[in-house]
Amino acid sequence: MAALEIEHVEKILRGGQAVLRDVSCSARDGELLVVVGPSGCGKSTLLRLVAGLESVTRGVIRIGERTVNELPPQQRDVAMVFQNHALYPHMTVYENLAFGLRVRGTPRARLDQRVRLVAAQLGIEAMLKRFPRELSGGQRQRTALGRAMLRNPSVFLLDEPLSSLDAPLRAELRRELAALHRSLGATMVYVTHDQSEALSLGQRMVVLAGGRVQQIDTPAHVFQRPANRFVAGFVGWPPMNFLTADSFDDVARVPAGQGALEYGVRPECFSARPGGGDDLQLTGRIERIESQGSEWDLELTHRLGRVLARLRPERTLEVGEQIRLWVARGHLHAFDLTSGARVELKP
Amino acid sequence: MSLRTRTLRAGTYLGLTGLAGVTLFPLLWVTSIALMRAPEAAAGTPPLWPHHPTLVNVINIISRQHLGRYFFNSIVVATATMALSVLVAGSAGYALARVEFRGRRVVSWLVMLGVLIPNQALVLPLFEMFRTVHLVNHYAALVLPAAANPVGIVLVQAYMRGIPVEILDAARIDGASEWRIYRSIVVPLMAPMLAAVGVLVFVVSWNDFMWPMIAMQQEGMQTLPVALAAIDREHYQDIGLMAAGATMTMLPMVVVFLASQRYYLRSVIAGSLTD
Repeated sequence: MAALEIEHVEKILRGGQAVLRDVSCSARDGELLVVVGPSGCGKSTLLRLVAGLESVTRGVIRIGERTVNELPPQQRDVAMVFQNHALYPHMTVYENLAFGLRVRGTPRARLDQRVRLVAAQLGIEAMLKRFPRELSGGQRQRTALGRAMLRNPSVFLLDEPLSSLDAPLRAELRRELAALHRSLGATMVYVTHDQSEALSLGQRMVVLAGGRVQQIDTPAHVFQRPANRFVAGFVGWPPMNFLTADSFDDVARVPAGQGALEYGVRPECFSARPGGGDDLQLTGRIERIESQGSEWDLELTHRLGRVLARLRPERTLEVGEQIRLWVARGHLHAFDLTSGARVELKP
Repeated sequence: MSLRTRTLRAGTYLGLTGLAGVTLFPLLWVTSIALMRAPEAAAGTPPLWPHHPTLVNVINIISRQHLGRYFFNSIVVATATMALSVLVAGSAGYALARVEFRGRRVVSWLVMLGVLIPNQALVLPLFEMFRTVHLVNHYAALVLPAAANPVGIVLVQAYMRGIPVEILDAARIDGASEWRIYRSIVVPLMAPMLAAVGVLVFVVSWNDFMWPMIAMQQEGMQTLPVALAAIDREHYQDIGLMAAGATMTMLPMVVVFLASQRYYLRSVIAGSLTD
């Protein structure tokens, strides 16, 4: 195992299009780092750069003590799990797992032992003689994971490994993956476009957009203190509402900061009754009600636009009804209207 | 099974049987004529079935016309051409599809252009070339020009583009050298297409007439179709003999086809990736 360091990495395509711009981040030895961002943000490219499948335009990539910029993938001691699994279709599960050790000339007995151990860890011992086309989606995914585990690489690279599976299986494998990470103590970089996956899985997460790092922090911090308007809107579901000061009933009580501000309120931070004395108040008309089981998603139109609130109502609500919502000042996020950067409000 | 699907299936089988019949009928008839005695075979329209089957035509054409020699020539040429062109098409097709190198697009275009040039247009320059290097009347004269088969290269290239690049990336990360990837991953994945190209090249080489006729003028070096045409000129009245020659020319095709069909009917890609 080893730490991974990415310093000021840029990737500019031959046509001049910049895919990654000055990206710096690192995964500590044994850490599970999640890279999350919308599609096209450059997160898969980042993984391919680390794997050596593409070359960096500028910057340094270090694995452990080694600078690997110039090394081909074969010599980087990384393993990668692809979104589409990319198993070798003409080889059995056993051969798929064994291939990496086989090309390195590992003695047969040790190879066999290692394949069986990893297969047992992943619960695919019974599948060893099957071909990939004879496996279910989950089994293929486990085989792909096993292939990566077999060599005990310094760094695991996982490129949306679960996105091709259905939701229940995805949740199951996500738990398994987290457990696996703990038991292997491996350095992992996990790329996903699914912010909920990033929140639940990562020890730290890197939010990437437009080829730039937006924020690097623990999931809790990213959620509680998003660095800018993009992160605030991207992380968390349903997404944060963005409001101007005069959306609230009493503009004067909205905390102000330097320059023009935009305020963010997460849908679940609204409440149907006042909590404390300095709660802000917002009045709107219910346009749509959607039950989420114990909670209700309400779409309201207020004076200046629309807002989504997730509530646990104490009485039946009707579409068309006027309703008053409260939000604690502490739940208010503020962003600079022009730059989008987070602005700290005075308590 | 509902009546509708059953009717549909019956119709399909009927249609396919009809097509197979149309294709097979001339082949079977020629084989049948080969087994007829001279008067029977020479009738304006020979009967469908020999009344007194005989191998005399086969024996005659082998012993008196040295067909064995021409047969050997054809086998050598077609087999060598097949082997060489599969090798070339396999590596060139893969390289053009999946290896980054300078001038790849230009080469791709040139190969495409090669598909469009008719063989007849090449006969003269080819002959000049081979005469200069003293390879006329040599097997190499038939094998070498066919070894770089542009159709084969284009087919392999297109097939290779359909194989996800991630499979090759995975092998790279697994530590395999480029040569190892080619040997252990690419070739097995291309196998169905290589088999198809091989059969195609074998058949084309086997049936080729114009270039072998020009390049192989020395007695005893001709291939079967050329030799057969020569026999035809001498013995145009001996239909049975000609039919025996034609049958023996067809036979290897049938063997090659039956032996290789399972390779190119197989689809190995299924199941490698999520659908």
